[in-house]
Amino acid sequence: MSLLEIRGLRKVYGQRLLFEIPGLTLERGQSTLLVGTNGAGKTTLLRILAGLEPAEIAEYVFDGRKIAVREISRLAPTVVYVHQHAYLFHSSVAANIAYGLQGRGLSRAEINACVDAEIEWAGLREVAQVPTQRLSGGEKQRVALARARVLKPKLLLLDEPTANLDVDARRQVGDLIAHMGRGDDCVLVATHDPELIARSWSARYVLENCALADLQM
Amino acid sequence: MSLSEAALQALHMLLEGDPSLWGIIYVSLRVCFFAMLLAAPPAIMLAFLLANFSFPGRRILVVLIQTLQALPTVVIGLILYFLLTRNGPLGAYGLLFTQGGMILGEAVLAFPILAAMTLSALQSADPRVTETARTLGAGSIRAAWTLMMEVRFAIMAAIVTGFARVISEVGCAMMIGGNIAGVTRNITTAIALETSKGEFAQGIALGIVLVAVALVTNAGMALLQGKGGLK
Repeated sequence: MSLLEIRGLRKVYGQRLLFEIPGLTLERGQSTLLVGTNGAGKTTLLRILAGLEPAEIAEYVFDGRKIAVREISRLAPTVVYVHQHAYLFHSSVAANIAYGLQGRGLSRAEINACVDAEIEWAGLREVAQVPTQRLSGGEKQRVALARARVLKPKLLLLDEPTANLDVDARRQVGDLIAHMGRGDDCVLVATHDPELIARSWSARYVLENCALADLQM
Repeated sequence: MSLSEAALQALHMLLEGDPSLWGIIYVSLRVCFFAMLLAAPPAIMLAFLLANFSFPGRRILVVLIQTLQALPTVVIGLILYFLLTRNGPLGAYGLLFTQGGMILGEAVLAFPILAAMTLSALQSADPRVTETARTLGAGSIRAAWTLMMEVRFAIMAAIVTGFARVISEVGCAMMIGGNIAGVTRNITTAIALETSKGEFAQGIALGIVLVAVALVTNAGMALLQGKGGLK
């Protein structure tokens, strides 16, 4: 059984058709790449998959369960969307990573242990207690990845995760993304960063001319 | 008496702990504190509803709140006087010329400022705040609380501005409180009275306190903000 199966997805802005996708399937454990020119609708597609943006969808089946369009956003944090320029709450790095863990019946010790593991994973030990406004772009992006990863989402949607980062930060973030999907979990990354595109992916798609197609390398 | 002599006498009165003077200051602070306590929760709640939900009459309500900010304090005093007077619709509560009445009046004055400034803060907040909260699994109530926390400095600024408005106004306090010595006489009504009697020293002393209160509240706000307000 696939993790996500979508049929009849169509997005229009007024009279303008942004894209029409007859079918899209994301298999479990798959890392998927999505490319396309600016304005092709990559961000919009990711936001639709996360339920942050309305669209016409004939069928959205997640984990074998049919989900109504307006209920898609309730899949969070099983489905997590990370913005191109991730928003970090005005608190510490550790508090940001802990955000999604709170209110889930976990003890403080359990939360601390999970946060600690993510801080280690993302290499944020030195800035763990620093207010997020003082972080560099690369550090912010790593916090956003750790904050999403700690929730163990089945589907992680990353929008241009390396945009506006310098070479070193891009490499660090790229390395982290390569290790993001765990077991049956799925990562879908929208990007036009050549370094990221050149990495190994289970599936590659291109969004162009209002349609989704396999990317020929 | 020259201005410098009056100012010196004012400092003496303050430092010697003149009981009538400090009683007046206490009335002002107490009334303003409870007025803010009464006005802030519903004003912030209303701002939240206006920022997040569309309903019939919403725009009219927003315009009304913005207009009420500019309403002269004496007009609010006048309306409340008619409501609270013995024969008025709320006369049975006996609030006219009491601190309770003043608290109500000052809360009415603070309400539109608090609501309008909080609404503006919420509307100008980054839309990614709520989206990020929701995608990380927060329910609508927690997402709303997160948004409030993210704009907390702007809400604090609204509270300080509201407090400044009510502690410095004289019209409503005079009309609803009646300037009764030891009961409803506050800093501003006392300054007006003392000045009209030619007693400048007490007026100046109270003026100094008013400025000091403004300074302390704003300094407290700056301290709370820390570097959070820094871009």
